[in-house]
Amino acid sequence: MASDQALPKAAARPALPVRTRRELTDTQFALAIGMPVFLFLVLVVAYPLGYAIWMSVHKIIFFGGYRTSFVGLANFARVLADANFWWSTWVTLRLTVEAVILTMLLGLGLALMLNRPIVAGGLVRTLVFLPWCVSLYGAGLMFAYLARGQTGLGTSIAYAFGSSLSVDLMTRDMVIEVLAVGAAWTMAPLVAFFLLANLKTIPRRLYDLAALDRLSRFETFWNVTLPPLRYTLFVFTSIITVLSMKLFDFIFVMTGGGPGTSSATLTYQVYKVSFKNLDLGYGAAMSFYLLLLILASTFVLYLVWGRREARY
Amino acid sequence: MNRNRFLFVAVVLALLWSLVPIYWFCRMALLTPLEIQQYPWPLFPRAPNVASFWNIFGYDYILSDGTRVPASGQANQIIRGLFDSIVVSCIVTLLTLLAVLPLAYVFARLEFRFKSVLLFAILLSVALPPVSTLIPFYAMYIRIGLSGTLTGLVIVDLTITVPFVAWMLIGYFRNLPPIERLARVDGYGRLAAFVQLVIPLAKSGIAVAAVIAFLFAWNEYTYALVLVNGSTANTLPTAISGFLFQDPQPANLAASVVVTIIPPALVAYFLQRHVGEMNLVDPVR
Amino acid sequence: MIRRRDFGRLAAGAGLALAMLPRRSGAAEFPSLKAGSGQPVYFRGWQYKTDIVQNNVSRYNSTQGGHVDYATVTGDYPAIMEQNLMSGGQLDMLYGNPSQATRYFDGGWILPVEELPNYEEIKAEFLPNLWDAWTYKGKLLGLSYFATTRGVIHVNLKAFQGAGLADKDFPKSWDELYDTVFALNGKGVATPFLPHWFGEWYGISWAFVFEVLNRGGKVADDETHKPTLTTDKTGPAYKTLAAWKKLWNAKLVPSEVLTYNEAAYIAAFGSGRYVFSPQQLYDLESFNQKGKSQIAGFDSLLPVQGQSWGLIDSALYMMTKRERPAPVTDDVKRFTSWYGFKDETGKLAVGERWMQESMLFSAYKSIMDSPTTEARIKQAVARPEDYKAVLDVYKATPYPSGIWKVVWSEEYNSWLKDTLANFLLQDSDIVATITASNDKIKELNEKYGI
Repeated sequence: MASDQALPKAAARPALPVRTRRELTDTQFALAIGMPVFLFLVLVVAYPLGYAIWMSVHKIIFFGGYRTSFVGLANFARVLADANFWWSTWVTLRLTVEAVILTMLLGLGLALMLNRPIVAGGLVRTLVFLPWCVSLYGAGLMFAYLARGQTGLGTSIAYAFGSSLSVDLMTRDMVIEVLAVGAAWTMAPLVAFFLLANLKTIPRRLYDLAALDRLSRFETFWNVTLPPLRYTLFVFTSIITVLSMKLFDFIFVMTGGGPGTSSATLTYQVYKVSFKNLDLGYGAAMSFYLLLLILASTFVLYLVWGRREARY
Repeated sequence: MNRNRFLFVAVVLALLWSLVPIYWFCRMALLTPLEIQQYPWPLFPRAPNVASFWNIFGYDYILSDGTRVPASGQANQIIRGLFDSIVVSCIVTLLTLLAVLPLAYVFARLEFRFKSVLLFAILLSVALPPVSTLIPFYAMYIRIGLSGTLTGLVIVDLTITVPFVAWMLIGYFRNLPPIERLARVDGYGRLAAFVQLVIPLAKSGIAVAAVIAFLFAWNEYTYALVLVNGSTANTLPTAISGFLFQDPQPANLAASVVVTIIPPALVAYFLQRHVGEMNLVDPVR
Repeated sequence: MIRRRDFGRLAAGAGLALAMLPRRSGAAEFPSLKAGSGQPVYFRGWQYKTDIVQNNVSRYNSTQGGHVDYATVTGDYPAIMEQNLMSGGQLDMLYGNPSQATRYFDGGWILPVEELPNYEEIKAEFLPNLWDAWTYKGKLLGLSYFATTRGVIHVNLKAFQGAGLADKDFPKSWDELYDTVFALNGKGVATPFLPHWFGEWYGISWAFVFEVLNRGGKVADDETHKPTLTTDKTGPAYKTLAAWKKLWNAKLVPSEVLTYNEAAYIAAFGSGRYVFSPQQLYDLESFNQKGKSQIAGFDSLLPVQGQSWGLIDSALYMMTKRERPAPVTDDVKRFTSWYGFKDETGKLAVGERWMQESMLFSAYKSIMDSPTTEARIKQAVARPEDYKAVLDVYKATPYPSGIWKVVWSEEYNSWLKDTLANFLLQDSDIVATITASNDKIKELNEKYGI
């Protein structure tokens, strides 16, 4: 991408003495840098992961005396036969797709907007970033109050116009959409800021060239702005997908999986099974399915999109 | 100019979109319980008062009409939570940056054996849902005595922030022009090239990464709820969630949420400069 | 709130009518309530009037040289406490509902009250039915925090009288209540009834349990824990579910109610939008408080006219059985006795304070008998005639021993909550739902060998 022209400034400086020291190869350097971190991650994640695996192949009972019995893959089979599991999976997929699309579109839009010079830019950027500062459980609270008819914005606006309509969005049919909007509201600033950081690295020269070629706004966007963003867009789509599937605080606080089980995503279902019913083995098995779902989704995204971007 | 008007409308819409949900909830901090129970809620509060902000920090407050609003019993936990959250978030941010910057650089720029495997390991760490590792972490912590401590919470937060921020930054570093190759031509060592050239170039990315790490640690709720709840190391999210259940004190809840938003907003404000105003003309020149 | 308590048939009224019992039973008392070990005692509770609790604890610490560390546990209290108990975390004294106490006892995590030296004195103070409710396998599981009726029907007099109705029109039973609700709707009241269908774990599932109890039925047998619901159309379960279905399909209840937490549920009724709602007995106080509720001075309750209302909701203080040195355990016992029973002056100080501050009823006869309590209740109700109604309702309130004094109570409750919500949302079949409940109980009995 960047041409390999010599740095004019550097050339003007006297050359540094060439020291003959043995340099690390790329691999050695990478490992030297990365090892401590990996060791840390492995140590801290391996134990819970191992424990979770152990739990998933056992049946664990607390009452009448703690006892565990090895059941092999029985828990895993039981999960597949559980209607609640399939329902939760469907809810999770629906929520994730909606949330990711909304988030990415919103994030891109916000980034493009913030890229322009704006009066009181610092303040505007901070305010646009606030939804992510609010935290997921805070967002859950806010959207709960917004969406309920009792305290909702819709009801108040209707009332201001003289109607006595109570706008209740926490219905079985609409609750997932409301959750998706709320999730997008929280996560879009995250995407927007990374995209903005990327946008800032696009040399102004390219825009000038595009102007010279009299490219329309859309063509400029497509040919100048978008290409450097594509890899980031892919990365963030994956990230937001993972985050949406893992969403817990938000749903726990806003709907508690309700009304009924309408918004019981897989994460929530695992929580219920593990914490409420104390069926730890079963819960652990179900959580591996969740993990599988998350990994599969990112893999599919990579196959379909990421591979094309990895051409550097 | 048309463009300016369009931009103006866009900014206004963006601000409304971002702020209305926050306003709708947080204005409860300015209302009395009586007003909060009104149906339906008026669009704007009529007689705002700041009693709840005093209450959550442990002070009684006397309203203009003479009623005394008592201090909240949660005040101790809120103050402690505020302090603990600041400490934990700062430490986690620093450690995350130290760990992640070299890591992301290495993944973005270099090819080496095991790269895919290690990338997968990072992905796995991010994909692990907290719900499934909650109990094992809890059991492990009890055994090694880390439950109810800030150290334990920092470690748990790092397992979330490090892989996540690493993943985000890898993409960012890939987009940077490879000027360090040119520096290597001049004889810079790899580490020197990294520290002296890449990092200043990547200021915006680093700023965003710092904000992200800080926010993750600041807003972390699920693990904190189980690991430090009710202990001397409790953080702000758990202290606040007390207002969520049972005895309804929505004004105090809203005031606490406002308090929760302010530090990250400040951090964001100070760091967003590096994102917004940096405009690299041409890094190659 | 997480409180469940067995109140049984014998009423607090019988307790109230009892002559004052001699306080000194002649049995052993604590030599001293002063803390001796110098080590901290960890006390955890849920979030309710935590300023009062903190104040009590501070008093113990300063007068008895204690090192009690109190903190509120927020969030999903039962789940968190269970995790804590399972892992042997730092926990010495905690709140809990009787059904949780049953579970914890079976898990081997709590000490029964008989470990305290003043056990006989405590036993003498207890109202008999609460004693029955809180005793499991012959052991009293904890000391009295509070007891109340959850599910007593509050009446918003402003709206009720505004629709042209008077006290004589107070419904006498659940069936009459539903008829009145539909009549009010016919008269133009958009939302006449706020049912107990909110999203907490003591919301919609408890609503079913108490309605069945009030109608004279039981979900499971008290002794054998076998399911007892029938599917015939005149049975309590069938009538309950049929009434619910009719109410829901008539769209008289907004769907959001299913997602409410308790705070939202209370706020919704306090806004004055609804005419009837099953709520906590002690919330008569908050609903009648000026400056806090939009219906202040207008909140009354349906009296007992042939049918009970609600069920007993209660909580106790429990001591844990975790590993700690013997002097610390002694301190735990001293503090628990001081806090849950009599302090160093011989007064049931903490219990009496809860009555005065929040109108929380107690299991101890002395508190329920006292004239200050009577004055306190009279202060909280909207009209003087409500005082008698309060006592009558409290006396008559039932307790579902069959499904609560058993180790699977939480699991069944969680299942019931989801099933009932789906019954409404998916318009399921009534017979199928009742049969499913019976099957679930059988399955749980088998799982735990009961």
